[in-house]
Amino acid sequence: MSVSRKGVLTASAILATLIFASCHKHPPVVKAPAAAPTVPPTVTLTAQPSTVQQGQSVTLSWSSENATSLDLEPAVGKVQANGSTAVTADQSTTYTLTATGPGGSRTASARVTVTVPPPAASSTTSTSPSVSESTLESEFQVGVKDAFFDTNSSTIRADAQSALTQDARFFNAHPNINFTIEGHCDERGSEEYNLGLGDRRANAAKQYLVALGVSADRITTISYGKDRPFCTEHTEECWQLNRRAHFVLGSER
Amino acid sequence: MQKKTLGTALMALLGTTLIRVPSLSAQQWFRTGINLSTAKLRMAVTQFPPQSVDEQLVSLTNTFNDVLWNDLGDSGIFEMVSRSYYPLKIPARPADVDFNAWANPPVSAQFLVFGHTAIVNGHLVITGRLFDVKDTSAPMVLGKRYVAALDTISARDAAHRFADEIIQMLGGGIPGICLTHIAFVSNRTGSPEIWTMDYDGADKRQITNEHSLSLTPAWSPDGQKIAFTSYAHGGPEIQIYSLLSNRYLPFPRFAGTNATPAFSPGGKRIAFSSSMSGDPEIYIANSNGSNLRRLTFTPSVNIAPAWNPKTGNEIAFVSDRSGSPQIYIMSSDGTNVRELTTKGGFVDEPSWSPNGLFLAFTWRVTETGTYDIYVAEIATGNIIQLTENEGRNEHPSWSPDGRHIVFESTRSGRRQVWTMLADGSDPKQLTHKGHNWDPSWSNQ
Repeated sequence: MSVSRKGVLTASAILATLIFASCHKHPPVVKAPAAAPTVPPTVTLTAQPSTVQQGQSVTLSWSSENATSLDLEPAVGKVQANGSTAVTADQSTTYTLTATGPGGSRTASARVTVTVPPPAASSTTSTSPSVSESTLESEFQVGVKDAFFDTNSSTIRADAQSALTQDARFFNAHPNINFTIEGHCDERGSEEYNLGLGDRRANAAKQYLVALGVSADRITTISYGKDRPFCTEHTEECWQLNRRAHFVLGSER
Repeated sequence: MQKKTLGTALMALLGTTLIRVPSLSAQQWFRTGINLSTAKLRMAVTQFPPQSVDEQLVSLTNTFNDVLWNDLGDSGIFEMVSRSYYPLKIPARPADVDFNAWANPPVSAQFLVFGHTAIVNGHLVITGRLFDVKDTSAPMVLGKRYVAALDTISARDAAHRFADEIIQMLGGGIPGICLTHIAFVSNRTGSPEIWTMDYDGADKRQITNEHSLSLTPAWSPDGQKIAFTSYAHGGPEIQIYSLLSNRYLPFPRFAGTNATPAFSPGGKRIAFSSSMSGDPEIYIANSNGSNLRRLTFTPSVNIAPAWNPKTGNEIAFVSDRSGSPQIYIMSSDGTNVRELTTKGGFVDEPSWSPNGLFLAFTWRVTETGTYDIYVAEIATGNIIQLTENEGRNEHPSWSPDGRHIVFESTRSGRRQVWTMLADGSDPKQLTHKGHNWDPSWSNQ
């Protein structure tokens, strides 16, 4: 099953908040080699061009110092200390590069704005069985919005209602695809409780779609609790991004 | 530190008169309950001299001496006399013991542990003795000989066994925990997998290799199986791994989220959370998944069940039926549901003490507050705070002797597994590589 993160539309750009949350009152018994400096890593990330039409590629370039591990999300993964890569975003995306080293971790973000054709044009052609998979996938990324939640809550709030209503329109217009709803939570609270809460969120989104006419047997739900976050900063902005029901395109029926 | 802060911290946090006991008396009921005596026995533990200069013997003897010292020091019942006060002549045999030198100041020990090591017929032979040096007429409390293989694990094992004998002898007959294990989740290989280690952090072993998510390990009471939450086949399901046969045991894949398994004290049943009927609810089943029975019926999260290990008749669990996560206790047939505490905040991750009288848990007193470990005396509702002002502290799990708690903490930076005495003192970090969490202490 795909758990792809690409094409997650975020309502607002993630600020690269520099957080160094831990205190070091009790150093680990096993100390880092004396030669390794414990200065925090530095990291930069740029996107060229920062605005493209859907389907065009963007070059992400980055550099870092004092980092032992660099993770460029979404969709790229582990990268070297300095480099660049071409990506093709189906929709506006905030790329975040997390640099981790002996001195802590730092992030840098770059926003790519993707301009898309009007949605009305795609919905009229979308029921065609000859539509290619890549087109379907990009339509899915454009037409399906994640639903976001309040803390400790699986209640479908107003913004989630409009997102899910749009989602139901898409799924009813594409009756031949299955999909998965992932329930996600922020880092607060226990691993166990969040497994349950993520299950409730995924199911709440599912029930909302079912009420709008989407067949329940097309929908798989899965809770990832707080274990597959979209954002790893310790801020409310980040937590809000992680409290969500996330849609993943499945197989054709 | 704890003594100063407990009472006042709780009163300040709660802002009520519910807890009026001065901190000292709170400590007393608590210490009594968990068998951490207020007066620790003063003990001298010598470095056993090797009886030859064989390099291997010297190395293994060093291991034995270090492990024995740490085991006794970590037991929580001894005051270890610093070796800098010891007489120059360290006894190897009973005839060598100068009672006055050990019983009088500056050592002033009540008990003396001494012995020697040798290699005999290709084996490590350790002779250890426990003397009551205040009783010169019949000083010997324990005399033991251990024959071990010539390797580090065997030397460690011998030290653990000798320490357990001493702890059981002098600690009110409660078996020591030096041979117990801790299961935990580690992402040091890239994905969260189940690992085990000795109670002191040694000998870490990777149990699962699923490259997905393996979470919330729980021991069977005989220490031979670990049940956990697995994403190996997609959605979260219960898996049971046999450490004896090194393979998975059958357990059904139910629909929905199936998570947080917990073995009953007898090992025959498993409680877990499942959303097979819609919401996450607590179920119990036989350990092969048969005879399934639903225990909770609320449209909310119900998860993280924990059996009362003493009686097996009660299950604590977490539910947000009131709007936020709280701990509830019910009979193991689902009746008689009651809330552990009504003091507010977020109350999560219950772990019963082995005597069934206490629950350790994670409490976030306000939505913006810290995550700390607390212990509640179930009968009275009295609560003691064990951690304070040191990162996020969560997921307590009690040791089988009731004197220790393993937990996860971010106090050194990343999430790591720590142990402490059950009064909050003597914290020790057991893991260092990657992130490590969800610790669970084995029964044996």
